[in-house]
Amino acid sequence: MIKNSTLSRSITLANRIDELTRISAFLEETTEQWDLPMALGMSLNLVLEEAFTNVVQYAYTDKEQHEIELLMEKSGKELIVTIIDDGQPYDPTKKTDPDINLNVENRPIGGLGIFLIKKTMDNVAYERKNDKNHLIMTKNLA
Amino acid sequence: MEVKLSNLNDYTVVSIHGRVDTLTASDFESKILEVLEGGAKKLLLDCSDLAYISSSGLRVFLVAQKKMMASGGSLKLCCLQPEIKEIFDISGFSTIFSIFPDAESAAAQ
Repeated sequence: MIKNSTLSRSITLANRIDELTRISAFLEETTEQWDLPMALGMSLNLVLEEAFTNVVQYAYTDKEQHEIELLMEKSGKELIVTIIDDGQPYDPTKKTDPDINLNVENRPIGGLGIFLIKKTMDNVAYERKNDKNHLIMTKNLA
Repeated sequence: MEVKLSNLNDYTVVSIHGRVDTLTASDFESKILEVLEGGAKKLLLDCSDLAYISSSGLRVFLVAQKKMMASGGSLKLCCLQPEIKEIFDISGFSTIFSIFPDAESAAAQ
């Protein structure tokens, strides 16, 4: 068994919502190949869906096709998932968390996506590099 | 995603099967709205076979709850799988829905 090796897999996606199907399949393969727990696979699916959907819906001001890269790395006890897009600069980590104590009448519809990412992952960081957004989400593996 | 309708006591039961995500949420929403517009005043969403939910799906649950409360109806949830329940907990949705362990106890009250 190889110790402390870094595993890495990536997929290039188009800025279309139906790519979520390919994301799920890619994630399922990765979970299996890297022997990750099934429950983790499901939470990662949620994280990736929220992050990818945000990019597709809000990052682009034109109607062109864009490439979005999804990178997964496993290094020691850390799993790092990065989404890279060439949309307009946007740092989702700066978004204010929703007030989850509001009652039904006052609870706004929507605005939960980024919050679910932050709550599911152990660290969420943003960088703007080479005119691209990098959303770097880390999960500590038990 | 598929929904099946049935009745239990005076509740209309909507059993949700599969994934309620960004791809299926609008289909789910129109099916739920159809039930509400049909005049259901007591609604139970049975989540036994709900395999996955994202924020798009949570949004539909919230819309249904708001509409039910506005019309004086009653909306209950039952049978959430642990992974789904966790997402409801994180979102604060566990406190804005009446959640029961099984359909019988939900429809008994």
